[in-house]
Amino acid sequence: MKTMSEMATKKTKTSWRGGLAVLMLTSSLLGACGAAGNANTGASADPGNSASGNEAANGGQAAEQPAEQQPAPSGKVVVYTAGPEGLATKIREGFEAKYGVTVEQFDGTTGKVLGRLEAEKGNPVADVVVLASWPSAMAMKAEGWTQAYPEAAEADKLQTDWVDADRHLFGYSASALGITYNTKLVSEPPRDWADLADPSWQGVVNIPDPSLSGSALDFISGYLNDQGSEDWSLFEQLKANGVAMAGANKEALDPVITGAKSIVMAGVDYMAYSAKAKGEPVDIVYPESGTVINPRAAMIMKTSPNLDNAKLFIDYLLSDEAQALVTGAYLLPGRADIKADNRVNTDEIKLLDYDWNWMSEQGEAISARFLELFK
Amino acid sequence: MDKLIRGGLRLPAMSWRLGLGLVLLGGLVLLPLAMVLLRSLYPDDAFDALAPLRVLSDPTLLSIFWNSIALGGWVVLGSTLLALPMAFLAARTSIGRHAWLDVVLIIPFMTPPYIGSMGWILFMQKRGFAEQLWPAAGSVTPTFFSLFGMVAIMSLHLFPFLYLILRNALQRIGGSLEEAASVHGGGPLYRLRRIVLPLLLGSYAMGALLVFVKTIAEFGTPATFGRQIGYYVLTSEIHRYTSSWPIDFGKATALASILLGACLMFWYVQNVISRRHQYRTLGGKGMRTRMTPLPGWRAVWGWGYTGALLLLSIGIPYFSIIAASLMKLRGEGLAWGNMTLAHYAELLRPGSKGWQALLNSMGLAALAATAAVLLGTFLVLQMGSMKQFSQRSLDLFSLLPNTVPGIVIVVGLILLWNAPWMPVPIYNTYAMVVLTYVVFFLPYSVQYIKSSAAQIDGSLVQAGRVFGGKPWYIFRRIVLPLLIPGVLAGWMMTFTISARELVASLMVLPPSMQVTATYIFSQFEQGEVSLGMAMAVVSVGLTTLVLVAMNYLGADRK
Repeated sequence: MKTMSEMATKKTKTSWRGGLAVLMLTSSLLGACGAAGNANTGASADPGNSASGNEAANGGQAAEQPAEQQPAPSGKVVVYTAGPEGLATKIREGFEAKYGVTVEQFDGTTGKVLGRLEAEKGNPVADVVVLASWPSAMAMKAEGWTQAYPEAAEADKLQTDWVDADRHLFGYSASALGITYNTKLVSEPPRDWADLADPSWQGVVNIPDPSLSGSALDFISGYLNDQGSEDWSLFEQLKANGVAMAGANKEALDPVITGAKSIVMAGVDYMAYSAKAKGEPVDIVYPESGTVINPRAAMIMKTSPNLDNAKLFIDYLLSDEAQALVTGAYLLPGRADIKADNRVNTDEIKLLDYDWNWMSEQGEAISARFLELFK
Repeated sequence: MDKLIRGGLRLPAMSWRLGLGLVLLGGLVLLPLAMVLLRSLYPDDAFDALAPLRVLSDPTLLSIFWNSIALGGWVVLGSTLLALPMAFLAARTSIGRHAWLDVVLIIPFMTPPYIGSMGWILFMQKRGFAEQLWPAAGSVTPTFFSLFGMVAIMSLHLFPFLYLILRNALQRIGGSLEEAASVHGGGPLYRLRRIVLPLLLGSYAMGALLVFVKTIAEFGTPATFGRQIGYYVLTSEIHRYTSSWPIDFGKATALASILLGACLMFWYVQNVISRRHQYRTLGGKGMRTRMTPLPGWRAVWGWGYTGALLLLSIGIPYFSIIAASLMKLRGEGLAWGNMTLAHYAELLRPGSKGWQALLNSMGLAALAATAAVLLGTFLVLQMGSMKQFSQRSLDLFSLLPNTVPGIVIVVGLILLWNAPWMPVPIYNTYAMVVLTYVVFFLPYSVQYIKSSAAQIDGSLVQAGRVFGGKPWYIFRRIVLPLLIPGVLAGWMMTFTISARELVASLMVLPPSMQVTATYIFSQFEQGEVSLGMAMAVVSVGLTTLVLVAMNYLGADRK
């Protein structure tokens, strides 16, 4: 709170000097100032500020805050994100440049983000949380960690089912799970999941650890759901065929790149695309029977201390600019009206038949049983 | 008079300081752990005193518990086999004149364990570097992926600990005792059996305990290598429960309590041995160490051993790390055309994320090391003769952080410092990181300084007192100068390990701040392995430079 008020005083001081600059303000800068002002009011006032209240604040404060041209940050937003680090950094930089709001960001995996949230339960500091697993996000919502943001800009343009009905979770990007293989070692890649139980693939297949990789868990539970929920036979056969459980996604993929293993089963596709683009000897196929696409959910925490900035951040994630960053990282864009030209798009990937609610409920049990089987 | 003699190093009228020490440790170490234990006793918001034990009734968890203990035992054995001959060579032969050896021999320990394990994995795996260099190696390398390989990796990582402690002890024993025995007709084996080994035992027990505790609290190697061979230990399970969804702090803290219990038991055994074999070897008399020049074939053996040790502990892992850091395409393997310095250029570009992380690490580690030795010196002085219960508690509490897996302390620290009622708002600031490092690594400072202090004969203090020295004067002119080597060693150790600390950094760093370890880890997890490896090389290089500088400065004082 103290820093907030200090910033506010500093800003008013500079603002009087910058009278002329008002004329040169672009509309986006106006928005930024409004956001900045809101950060200050939002933190002290009722967090449930209505949108109209914000509009009023915008009008009132835009004129007296032209100092935003200097990167003098006005407030902050604390983001805990699981996801490709390069993308997270670009989004942070883009958001900071656009709104002049400092982003304090914690990069981890889904598991680490949840661990940090749990540890900080008594005194939460996060505003926005981004998870790589949709069912985990649903579980968080069910436990009352999140809050709705019905006014989110462009949320209507998201893919069907990539946003929930009461607008807690926003699937701003997604990855599909496939079979990644080393092109030097594999000339005829397997066509379907079940092929991996064939003796010709004995001992050369990795699968990410579902307790670390939210996406791998989504695949396992999605596949089980598709098969009638209780049929573990494929995974038992895979275990018998020497499939190794290997850490998070990158840790599962790296041995395949170096040739120690030949195949990653249920690895996230964007890593394969980006390694391939770099020139590494890998490629990916999507199995014939279908796969799981798991949207990465962004959500605002119920306890968000910088609520207005948090809303801005969600808006930014769904903006054209951030969506372009998403496709640049070889992920599937969350919005249906944007297409990626460097990878297979959402509508071209065949899906298994699964139900997120079932997966969210069963995730814990499935993860435990899978670990028991593969350890 | 009797009290004076028994008091040894302890200065009179220090009881309030002893109290202050206990209070400090209570707040820093005990309270966070108490928060964790409390949490473990309330698994479902209802009190259950047996919750930790109930966890062990699960047969898988029980076998994991024994895995931990067995691993600890094997690694103590392994690092003893590696360290003992080296300590003799360095303390007693002309090989010890080469001061650079000391710095080089700390490198394995300065290498973050998960990096070292990665290096070994990259070297030994199918189509790995070993096979690329000697295709015939492919028939042998698969055997490395077993418990043997894991023990080898961990021993090669931890033996420097034992080496430093043993070598220091050997040097302090000095040549005169052995010469006396020799004059009286004792043969080399007799001297070894009746003089050197008993004098070493106290220090060895201390070092072995440290290695044991480090092993069973180690997370990096089990997380990388152990997972590959399916050897699960308590720490990897605790980590799983604290870091992966669904989070179960109750189970994690219960396992931690069990681990803690086991460690305390071993600590007790060590303490008994050390107390029985504690000798004052550093008296007022001059001391000299006999350095046997190694003739002919013995020099070959001596240097051969040193060389082999360095090759295994540094050569192979660093070959892998450096090779991986230089690779353009990891899929292309070892080839001259596949090399690039681009990863280093990216790291060392001022303002880049890697550069920031480096600066953060160095700054935080220096701050933490300084704070830790100040606190450590203060605490050691209060421990004195270790005869009183309160003094022994002080020792126990200062050792505690070493016996609890880092991740549990961090969770405790977060529970404490981020509690809604906490009036000191250091959570999510740099101060929190420094505090965590200090709590983590206080035991190192304490052990090193204590090791120095234990060798100071009480007669020195008494002599000072006889000549009218006030307590502060005696401390400043007699005790402190004799403690300096221990303080320096403690500083160096704390700096080194703070600079590569992973678990705590992952949990308490303010969002958007990175240190080298978290940078490397996130590169392994989600970024580029090559960039992570380049960072490993740079950060180990930098810490080595700092150590060399410290060693150089310290050389004048000894």
